[in-house]
Amino acid sequence: MIAEGAVQAGCRFFAGYPITPATGIFKGMVDMLPAQGGLALSAPDEISAIAYAIGASLRGIKSMTATSGPGWALMTESVQYALMTETPLVITLVQRLGPSTGGATQGAQGDVLFAEYCTSGGYTIPVLCPVNATECYTLTILAFTWAELYRTPVILLTDKEIAMTAERIDDDVLPNMTAQERLTSKSGSAVGTYDFDFPQEIPAFRPVGGLEKVTVTGSAHDKQGRLQKNTPETLEVLKHLEEKIRWRENDFCVVETDLQKGAESLVVSYGVTSRAAAEAVARARADGTKVSFLGIKSLFPVPRRAVARALKGIRTVFVAEENYTGLYRSVLLPLLGGTEVRGINKVGSMITPQEILAALSEPA
Amino acid sequence: MSQANLHIVRETYLREKPVFPFCKGCGHTLVLRKLDEALDALQIPPRDVALVTDIGCIGLADALFATIHTVHTTHGRSTAFATGIALADSVLAERRLKTIVLIGDGGAMIGLQHLVHAAMLNVDVTVLVCNNFVYGMTGGQGSSLTPEGFITATTPNGNVVPPIDLCGILKNSHAPFVARALATDRSLTETIREAIATPNFALIEILELCTEYASRRNRLGGSDLRDLAEQNGWQLGQIVKRTDRQPYFSRMVPTNGQEHRWEGRRIEAIQPPTHALRKTLGVVVAGSAGERVQSSAAVFSEVALGEGYSVTQKNDNPVTQGTGFSLSEIKIGPEPILYTAIEHPDVLAILSADGWREAVAAGWMERLGSDSEVFLDEDIPVDFNGAHLKRLPLRRMFGAEWTAMGLLTMLGVKYRIASFVDLLQAIRVAFGDRAADAVKTGYDELKKNEAVS
Repeated sequence: MIAEGAVQAGCRFFAGYPITPATGIFKGMVDMLPAQGGLALSAPDEISAIAYAIGASLRGIKSMTATSGPGWALMTESVQYALMTETPLVITLVQRLGPSTGGATQGAQGDVLFAEYCTSGGYTIPVLCPVNATECYTLTILAFTWAELYRTPVILLTDKEIAMTAERIDDDVLPNMTAQERLTSKSGSAVGTYDFDFPQEIPAFRPVGGLEKVTVTGSAHDKQGRLQKNTPETLEVLKHLEEKIRWRENDFCVVETDLQKGAESLVVSYGVTSRAAAEAVARARADGTKVSFLGIKSLFPVPRRAVARALKGIRTVFVAEENYTGLYRSVLLPLLGGTEVRGINKVGSMITPQEILAALSEPA
Repeated sequence: MSQANLHIVRETYLREKPVFPFCKGCGHTLVLRKLDEALDALQIPPRDVALVTDIGCIGLADALFATIHTVHTTHGRSTAFATGIALADSVLAERRLKTIVLIGDGGAMIGLQHLVHAAMLNVDVTVLVCNNFVYGMTGGQGSSLTPEGFITATTPNGNVVPPIDLCGILKNSHAPFVARALATDRSLTETIREAIATPNFALIEILELCTEYASRRNRLGGSDLRDLAEQNGWQLGQIVKRTDRQPYFSRMVPTNGQEHRWEGRRIEAIQPPTHALRKTLGVVVAGSAGERVQSSAAVFSEVALGEGYSVTQKNDNPVTQGTGFSLSEIKIGPEPILYTAIEHPDVLAILSADGWREAVAAGWMERLGSDSEVFLDEDIPVDFNGAHLKRLPLRRMFGAEWTAMGLLTMLGVKYRIASFVDLLQAIRVAFGDRAADAVKTGYDELKKNEAVS
């Protein structure tokens, strides 16, 4: 469904390297893209794969790559390059058990911070996290929209249990979505490759090979793309890279809120675990327990407002995720002041609804 | 697009009166002047040129070009970014962009796989490797192209590691155009011109001086480069010139040029759902790899989908594909399924010894509920007794290959998920007549033994 979403979003270039559990996306693109006049090819390694995809995007084609933890480790230098050069790109990261080569056929949610904090410099990269096959489709399209609108790499963070599980999708309820087309500058306008009037503005994209000269660099640069050290304009560009995302953080909010009046407990989860959490919440309510649920699909930028709204009247927040250390819990913690925060964590297999129910009923 | 460029009258490629940021006598200046001359000789519209630069001193070259597109990249990866640009240019079917890479000897080694793969693909990229035998920008450390005996910052007593023959590697990677030249060669401009003009991948290794670090320490002057090449057995001049290779993209696109809208694999509900199944049924099938456990589960799941149920199928196997266990967890129910794993299986079917071992190891035996049905192949030599255990000669009745499909067909009928006829038809479509016959024969045999209720 990720591959279908990508094709629907207008993706016409894919470069991949086989890695369980992301290979299915690679295969899907190989099967689908040629008929669309696009190209899906095998790269000799993940570094090449993402560099091919970035090169294609620089030339003006929507592009994507997909990998898992070990491949992601190799890609991060180029993800930063895409960020610095404001190149639209979607990277699907299908999580598997880590660290290192970990468990190829076991799911996990252990790359949440590894995905977001992969840049030297600590810039915000939008991260979307689908919970089911339908969302694999819709959020992939949304990822392309964000990549194009904001000239940024976007990470679609999923895991083995979502990407390799088959499930029913009702075609009729699939939204008829299209992704944002690339916003290009009017030809003949005398603007630089990274021109903006105020730091939050998105510079219009110009393709390498287009009618206007473009100057692209992964090094610190001015608005023309000229390599510079710390001139005021270069520092402004560096600020712009973060500001263009931060300023719009409310536009990135994708959550599922299911709040119950009078509930004093809130279960927060994302990805595959939020399915177990939703089921646990339904079972708890069936037993007469009041509990609220917040499923976060846009992990970064953190949907602060949605979290704040869900906290009204809540005394205890449970954050359920499939990693040992509570990665996303650590991100949410500063937003959860005044509540007791408990983690529901596990690795090796999916957290079960029963385990979440057990945590909910544990005494304070 | 090219026509629109015609009005751009004779622009030079290098800036007017460029200030080269290189040391006095550095070969990079020579190379860039010759690249400019070659572009000039070709009269390519500047907007049809993309110059992709690597990291290091040569990576500063992009700022010297005023009119062409420039892309300054990360260390060693320049060729890979260039390959992406060139491939995308082919996808856009404009095929006019000339992509040129400037990279040093350090970048050539750290990004060797990109050079090799670009040559294998045969993309329209021209790579100029400026080989001055050292990492100049960081202080003259030895590289993988440093000759033996060379004194560098990291080989103060002389390099003892033999350098790679870059051109030889590229030749053996099917590069259609490979040449080696000295930066001082008069003919270099013509070689660069030819390399850019070809629609193929081209690489020129240019031997040059790093006056700051290579020349001083090794008493190397411009006139010594030829001797150095000879001593190291580096062939100069054209090494490969092939015209028999087609560019990658031209071999990839469908020739009819027709666009097909991919329609996906849609399964229409055959009839309005009646949902004989009132609550979600969790079925675990554990067998051996290669015995169609997961593909049979997929066929079974699709039949259930066609009947209007919500279905999820989650598979597990060891990291190898063709050995050990193979397991599918299938959930079927009238309501949407949230949690896709099975906490307590309603049915656990163990079809082989591999499946038994996995069922034990993964804790399935402990997760059986009081109502859980267990199907165990009769020939698995284990001592197990359970309340709802059925030991059946499944493998003997269906044959190893169709045991999973046969068992699932039994379950489909038993739980009234689909009719036997519909299941059989789905098997016929998915696996052919032989499979459908095997399942039918086995099913009838088992029924005769009254094992199927």
